[in-house]
Amino acid sequence: MAHPTPPEIDRLLSRNREWQRSVVSRNKDFFSTSNQSQKPTYLWIGCADSRVPVNEIFGGIPPGEIFVHRNIANIVHATDLSLLSVLTYAVEHLKVPHIIVAGHYNCGGVKAGMGSSSVDMLDNWLRPVKVLQSIHARDLEGIESTEDRFRILCELNTLASANNIAYTNVVQKAWASGQNLTIRAWVYDLATGLIRDLDF
Amino acid sequence: MLENNSRWAKKMETERPGFFHELARTQHPDVLWIGCADSRVPSNSIVGLLPGEVFTHRNIANVVSHTDLSALSVLQYAVDVLKVKHIVVCGHYGCGGVLAAMTHNSYGLIDNWLRRIKDIYDHNREKIEALPEGKPREDFLIELNVAESISAIVNTTIVQKAWARGQPLDVHGWCYRLEDGRVRDLGLCISDTKEIHDIYKVFKQRDRPHDH
Repeated sequence: MAHPTPPEIDRLLSRNREWQRSVVSRNKDFFSTSNQSQKPTYLWIGCADSRVPVNEIFGGIPPGEIFVHRNIANIVHATDLSLLSVLTYAVEHLKVPHIIVAGHYNCGGVKAGMGSSSVDMLDNWLRPVKVLQSIHARDLEGIESTEDRFRILCELNTLASANNIAYTNVVQKAWASGQNLTIRAWVYDLATGLIRDLDF
Repeated sequence: MLENNSRWAKKMETERPGFFHELARTQHPDVLWIGCADSRVPSNSIVGLLPGEVFTHRNIANVVSHTDLSALSVLQYAVDVLKVKHIVVCGHYGCGGVLAAMTHNSYGLIDNWLRRIKDIYDHNREKIEALPEGKPREDFLIELNVAESISAIVNTTIVQKAWARGQPLDVHGWCYRLEDGRVRDLGLCISDTKEIHDIYKVFKQRDRPHDH
């Protein structure tokens, strides 16, 4: 299985070395001390989209602050063990105080869910988007611009996910026991780099 | 966080005018990153990538299983729609998920997620237990977990169909070291159906090997 390393991969490895050197030059003990265990302040549930790099969009938050789960279109399915495992670990073990459900405008997954063409198994994953479109059909029909309808559906999708997080027994139990835990729904605007708080 | 974001957005627009506008149109990442949710392993930062360069799926202990529609959906979107050229599965030493799987503790719902790692331990028990107890065994299981995720990825019809239509696609295995921030390339790279076990290969009817 030995292959010469492709240049795109080599580039990542050499960037890692540069990044590591730059972190150590600012704080020589960073890795040896702060990386021993994690105590993140936030759980981020966001989209896999390459244009939304979590730590960067806040001006470079250092490693250790944000526990991250990213999937297609930041959808929260009630029976998704992948998400539920991350949520359980974050809430019950790490006792993260803030959950951020983060969508973004121009989401390819939401767009695919809005359309009528089939994308194989993704159709099943994106079903909640179609359901939202159906529930809000009347309101959406009143909006002329396709672009505006798309933006609103990205917001509705994010709010639905935040709601679904709130309904999990993990979160309900945490609140019932008085645990400090908030949920926020944010949408990132790729065109400006700014985040919009949906006031969930 | 919101104030930091506002400052960052202004700074990016000043340093690279039109950056966001260009990015908003569509994404063309070359890489799909499958990593751990662990807060200490932020994918973009540790390999110095800009927005738009890496499509990312992060879960507990970077596990990829054939019944996990979350990972499979990301894989399908990355391979079939975005046509990424490389998939990097990046584990990390000191992974809490793997370490938890090595204990006899019960953690609730997450036990089911960690089961797969226990299976990996079980299948490789002799090799693992030939090593000294503690970190050597943990590190080895963390690396085996990366290898298993790679195996799961290349055994999917998604990846095999991509190769069958001539799409260039490599799958790589890395491990990140928390203690010094360095990524270690495990030297695992699969780019062809020939490199996977026969049972997982997808044949078209007419290409089936002859029955005896």
